[in-house]
Amino acid sequence: MELSSILLKIIDQLDGERTIYAGYHLLRGKRSGQTLQDVEYYGLKPYFHIIPNCSKEIYDEAVNKLCQAHLIYFAADSFAHTTEKGKMEAQAIAEPQFNGWNYRGRELLFFSRLSLIVQAASHLKAGEPSFMPIQKNVEVQSFVKEFARSYSLKDPVFASTLKEELLHCMEKSGMTEEQKFILIHRLSGYRLTGWTWDQLSEQLQYPVANVRLLYIESLHRILKVIEASKDMALLPKIAENIKVTSYLTESANKTKQLFEMGLPMTAIAGRRKLKMSTIEDHFVEMAINDQKFPLTQFVSEAEAQAVVDKVRQIGTKRLRILKDQFPALSYFQLRLILGARTGGERS
Amino acid sequence: MNLKAILQEKFGFEQFRPGQEAVIRDVLDGQDTIAILPTGMGKSLCYQFPAALMDGTTLIISPLVALMEDQVAIMKKNGEKRVAALNSFLSYQEKQQVLRNLPAYKFIFISPEMLVQKKIMQAFKRIQLSLIVIDEAHCISQWGFDFRPDYLRIGEVFHEHERPPILALTATANQKVVEDIHHYLKLSNPIIHRQSVDRPNISYSFVKVDREDEKLEWLKNHVKRTVGPGIIYVASRKKADEIASLLQMLDISIASYHAGKEQEDRAFIQEQFINGELQWICSTNAFGMGIHKDNIRQVIHAHIPQTMAGYIQEVGRAGRDGEQSAATLLFTPEDEGRTRFIMQEDLPTETEIRHYNHLLAENASPTEAAQLAGISETSMRIIEYYRERMVVDAVIQQINALIQEKETQLQKIIRFVHTRVCIRKEILAFFDERQQALQAVCCSNCHSLDDTWLAKTAEDSGKQALNWRERLALLL
Ligand SMILES: Nc1ncnc2c1ncn2[C@@H]1O[C@H](COP(=O)(O)OP(=O)(O)OP(=O)(O)O)[C@@H](O)[C@H]1O
Ligand SMILES: [Mg+2]
Ligand SMILES: [Zn+2]
Repeated sequence: MELSSILLKIIDQLDGERTIYAGYHLLRGKRSGQTLQDVEYYGLKPYFHIIPNCSKEIYDEAVNKLCQAHLIYFAADSFAHTTEKGKMEAQAIAEPQFNGWNYRGRELLFFSRLSLIVQAASHLKAGEPSFMPIQKNVEVQSFVKEFARSYSLKDPVFASTLKEELLHCMEKSGMTEEQKFILIHRLSGYRLTGWTWDQLSEQLQYPVANVRLLYIESLHRILKVIEASKDMALLPKIAENIKVTSYLTESANKTKQLFEMGLPMTAIAGRRKLKMSTIEDHFVEMAINDQKFPLTQFVSEAEAQAVVDKVRQIGTKRLRILKDQFPALSYFQLRLILGARTGGERS
Repeated sequence: MNLKAILQEKFGFEQFRPGQEAVIRDVLDGQDTIAILPTGMGKSLCYQFPAALMDGTTLIISPLVALMEDQVAIMKKNGEKRVAALNSFLSYQEKQQVLRNLPAYKFIFISPEMLVQKKIMQAFKRIQLSLIVIDEAHCISQWGFDFRPDYLRIGEVFHEHERPPILALTATANQKVVEDIHHYLKLSNPIIHRQSVDRPNISYSFVKVDREDEKLEWLKNHVKRTVGPGIIYVASRKKADEIASLLQMLDISIASYHAGKEQEDRAFIQEQFINGELQWICSTNAFGMGIHKDNIRQVIHAHIPQTMAGYIQEVGRAGRDGEQSAATLLFTPEDEGRTRFIMQEDLPTETEIRHYNHLLAENASPTEAAQLAGISETSMRIIEYYRERMVVDAVIQQINALIQEKETQLQKIIRFVHTRVCIRKEILAFFDERQQALQAVCCSNCHSLDDTWLAKTAEDSGKQALNWRERLALLL
């Protein structure tokens, strides 16, 4: 799994309507109005926040690779397009099973919990009750402390149940053998320490970035299996509250609360000492994420429908083009309609 | 009191190491004490032992968060659960939780920055403190290699007549540094215990080569045929990565370690090294403090360290088990300039200080002003400490004196690496000591150093990739 092929898929989906850095912000999970809208409009939720620490250098390297292979090009408007060859290639790449939108980095929290629990159980099993915790994060440590109150980690049945559940989930998730190798080698236990990214990369002969992508995808796969299952005792508990429940940024959430108290937008901006454009971004975010967003407080049903029809007919969601078609609607109104009505699949 | 019986019963050690018992007796007598014991000789016992016999809480001031966390984890691992750490990495809630339960803890580790906060100080006034420990006390000295401006404020926090005894611990302090510890901590007639810095089981060699790439050749050759576990110290992160990957290609079990790596990977490397799954670490000086591994056979410096004291601390990580170990310093003539650059890089120039001062006068916060003036955070705290006490011209003088002192220190180590007399003797002289006895295996300057014992007899076991099923079965 390579960054460049994921990027090719993203660029293909953005359909020549965004600059190259839209993909960068998407992969890093930037929570700005623009990125959040793009995620929805272009059905890019799976890729959101899957490489939070992606560096410009690594990103540019992937871009250059695609350019040199004539898979993408930049048009005069500086937007990134896929070539014919690029389109075909993008279709041919197997769909990775990312689910970034739902986890946003919290998949790592899941794995940290698992890692500390495995480390503890492994030492207890070996008759060595004390060890240096590999996870220093206090949130993780207190989760595991709490967890250990409900489950007896030193019971040999605990270790074997956890092992069985892990085996079952890895099998069922459809991840590759390599991904299983990575996951299991990131765990530590008695006299068996986890491997660093460099060491995994050396062993598998892939760049570190690819190893990490494989790792993140395998976590998303495993979490999906855990969420769907009903007959496991431990892993669902360890995955508790990992899936994001509020899709709004914290700031947008505050705006939403004031809006629900009945304050008009200008009053919210005044109260929160924020620019009107920021408040508008929050509303668009709400329109995208909140199924019950009262769109018709801002536009008529007929207007909304007309915009949706137009998008289908001309096959673009570009604001400037739509604005030409609907001069009576403001950019803000258009963004609300697009957000509430034309998002990709909602999960 | 039969301290030895307590040692055996409570700590499971057969006997005291040199110096420990005397220090512990003075602390129990309520004396202010300065203890200079070589690295790894068991300074922690000097407060853990008395604390076990005293009511109330022992407060330990420790310079590095990582070090603090390691110490807390080790104590917990050894069965002492009444330990807490207070540092800036805790969340507000976590901090509150510790502060609410202060009397419940027997040991509290704290960073100096935290200690000087009013609220924290008041909280400590309400509990019974039985002992105050300043770990790595050389950090208080501006002339030390590890100067931490916040250490200077510790003395102002506690008042002579209302405080329990203070125990200052360090591995490296010459006379000047001891005087600073005494003065700034406002100790009253402290008793000073000094054990020789000499580590008889460590042999020293210097290897001078002409060019940087010859260092690499030397390392390849040497590491390939000699025993680990070992640490190779280098000057930069980039070098650490570069050397580690070159040696790895020769099938040497090695990893690089520096502050640029993510936390989990650092923990893995540290653990692998301690467990013997990894033979070598190539690292910046970020690695070492708080590492408890007894059987390190070699410490190699592939650059000229900044100060003698720093060098001795790093070398002291070898051979804690008392077995023969080797310290090697590998350098080129160009290292002097490189090391100077690194040393002075983070001290501010006169122009920067004036710019900073000017920004403050225009109501910028110290952090903002430091950022705008391009001053590092440590430098900012140094400047702030002096600014509270003197006018800006005097501050500049102070900083210039610091820069000069650094240069003096560098000159000392440069002279050291070019010495033709016994290396051990030079080290002892630096710490105002005279050599007691000659070592059989001494140094590359003494007689031709016998290092046949270093030769590797078996290949490194290294990491074996297990198939994932086997590994999972071993884990759980
Ligand atoms: N009397 C003793 N007998 C045997 N082992 C001891 C004794 N005292 C301490 N130790 C062990 O020596 C090791 C080093 O101890 P400690 O960390 O206190 O050293 P230190 O002097 O603080 O080292 P550093 O200079 O790195 O801070 C520990 O593993 C400790 O358990
Ligand atoms: Mg110590
Ligand atoms: Zn000698």
